[in-house]
Amino acid sequence: MATKILSVDDSRTIRMIVGRTFKPYDCQICEAGNGEEGLAAAAREKPDLIILDVTMPVMDGVTMLGKLKEDPALKTIPVIMLTAESGRDNVLQIAKLGVRDYLVKPFKEEQLIEKAGRIVTLQKKPTV
Amino acid sequence: MSQTIQLPDICEFMTRHLVDVFDTMLAMPAALTPKAGLPHFEERVTGSVGFAGDSVTGAVYLHLSATFANRVAAAMLGLPPEETIGENDVNDVVGEATNMLTGGLKSWLCDAGAGCAVSTPAIIRGAFSVEAMPDVAREFLVFESGTERVIVEIHIKLN
Repeated sequence: MATKILSVDDSRTIRMIVGRTFKPYDCQICEAGNGEEGLAAAAREKPDLIILDVTMPVMDGVTMLGKLKEDPALKTIPVIMLTAESGRDNVLQIAKLGVRDYLVKPFKEEQLIEKAGRIVTLQKKPTV
Repeated sequence: MSQTIQLPDICEFMTRHLVDVFDTMLAMPAALTPKAGLPHFEERVTGSVGFAGDSVTGAVYLHLSATFANRVAAAMLGLPPEETIGENDVNDVVGEATNMLTGGLKSWLCDAGAGCAVSTPAIIRGAFSVEAMPDVAREFLVFESGTERVIVEIHIKLN
């Protein structure tokens, strides 16, 4: 069964890059443009992994992460933060909320694969 | 201006960071040209992200010519350089690049003791100049990327 990954970012560009990154793997990618949509998508899709931005309109990633961890049905879904913000205090605050890993933009696609691969099974699609 | 945070240090950080963003996300070189004059773009695409905290406020602007903005968007989206990209996609790429630049500056400022929050990106298109308020420091960093120019404009007020 394909690994289901939810990309939550207000930038269509980043969501597209995340989709492209996992394209060679047996993954199903779903997307949301802010934290509120991300929570709804997490409840609906039950992803194996969430890749989450911090600064977003409507609901930011830190608020979404907090709500996710308060929800018994969703709190075990692992989250990788993918954000342009790497300040010490910021990272510590987010780490306390229970994030599994942290990747700072700008990033290489291989870095995202490496971090995701430590959390979920990434199986290469067979080449035709 | 704060005694611990100085504009030259900010400029040095932003120079390294712009080069990193261009190299990592676009596979494009960028080099600071300290003595370059400011280019006049007839049509430009500018990304802007603001930041604000108790002891610091400001904004970062990333100015690109319209033609180079299209090439930058193609590079980030993994498309051929000559491909014409839709305006919304170019806006999103330039906004995201500006977000990465400003997010790095925010982190640098936070680690230096000037905690702040950043806005979501905005895009301005056209031929225009941005004016700074009288008590706001302003710096231009001009880069060359191949035959194109990239300008990072920083407005900052440290209390």
